[in-house]
Amino acid sequence: MGADGAIRLAVPASPEYLRMTRLMAAGVAGRLGFSLEEIEDLRIAIDEVCFALVGDRGRPGTVVVTYRVSGDGLVVEGEGRFEEGLGVQPRLSPLSSRILSVVVDECSLEAGPTGPTFRLVKHRGR
Amino acid sequence: MATDATERAERRERFRRFAETGDPRLRDELVADHLGLAEYLARRFANRGEPLDDLVQVASLGLLKAVDRFDPSRGLEFSTFATPTIVGELKRHFRDKGWAVRVPRRIQELHLQLNTVVSSLSHELGRSPTIAEIAREARVSEEEVIEALEAGQAYRSASLDAPGGAGDDDVSLSEGLGAEDPAMADAERRVTLSPLLAEFAPREQTILHLRFFEGCTQSEIARKLGISQMHVSRLLSRSLAQMRERARDA
Repeated sequence: MGADGAIRLAVPASPEYLRMTRLMAAGVAGRLGFSLEEIEDLRIAIDEVCFALVGDRGRPGTVVVTYRVSGDGLVVEGEGRFEEGLGVQPRLSPLSSRILSVVVDECSLEAGPTGPTFRLVKHRGR
Repeated sequence: MATDATERAERRERFRRFAETGDPRLRDELVADHLGLAEYLARRFANRGEPLDDLVQVASLGLLKAVDRFDPSRGLEFSTFATPTIVGELKRHFRDKGWAVRVPRRIQELHLQLNTVVSSLSHELGRSPTIAEIAREARVSEEEVIEALEAGQAYRSASLDAPGGAGDDDVSLSEGLGAEDPAMADAERRVTLSPLLAEFAPREQTILHLRFFEGCTQSEIARKLGISQMHVSRLLSRSLAQMRERARDA
């Protein structure tokens, strides 16, 4: 955990390791008293954005995910650090966008300096 | 058919000769003749994070063992005898090497137990339970609960749903999906599905539609369809994983 109270997890950008980012999200959300269904939503959201970042086969590089508690919510930010760097533009299908709008309160996906980035916010008990 | 019967008899004769002589050329022929079976079984273990070529190699090794051990005088068909040997070899491969995709038995069992715990707690509390509540009820740690819940999400590493391929007898993966459920059929009739879901099978469309277009919670869907919330969760994960696979192939 960093001095800012955030938890940071860096994993290889492949599906086997992205599982860890879901586990961590479930762990932190569980501590915050999120319900099982809210945790499932969060997991679906992380799957969707991670797929947008690395596809389902992975990429050479790392994904750094930061978990931060904010009031009654959890902010999950991710950053791709890929060898192919700037070439990777994140894209969401219309269905993915729809799904994300239902399972989290806020979601954004942008091109960053070393690869795409995402930001998810999920509040408890809404 | 006469040809089939002749072929069978001819194959049986070759196995008998091989059992007698141990002729390596005969052995190679018998293995080559049944590579299709090894490949078929290897495919059933695909989508678990291991390259298909590797799995075919492993299955071929199982096939080789089966050819060596087969005793034609016992009256079994070779494929009947070889299938468990080949599947055993594939499973061992995942057990030994597939650490990234393996779900420990303890966690698999806990996952099944949580199914009941979550249902009864949701009913009792009138809402979705927290991890702490589930852990207390199941008498395990919160970490174990989280791991067991994750096990249900691991479509790509679907040890719970083994064997997770496109096999004909793929019962566990299609659990609840393949069955004609009157509540499900009813729900299908009532909803006008989004065109975004057109590529999914009708039942998957219904679940995705209820969750993402009607805003129903997993518990509400579970009630409507007469299945457990964790089952809804698994079906959702599976549909979404399929969606991503299709996006990749597109």
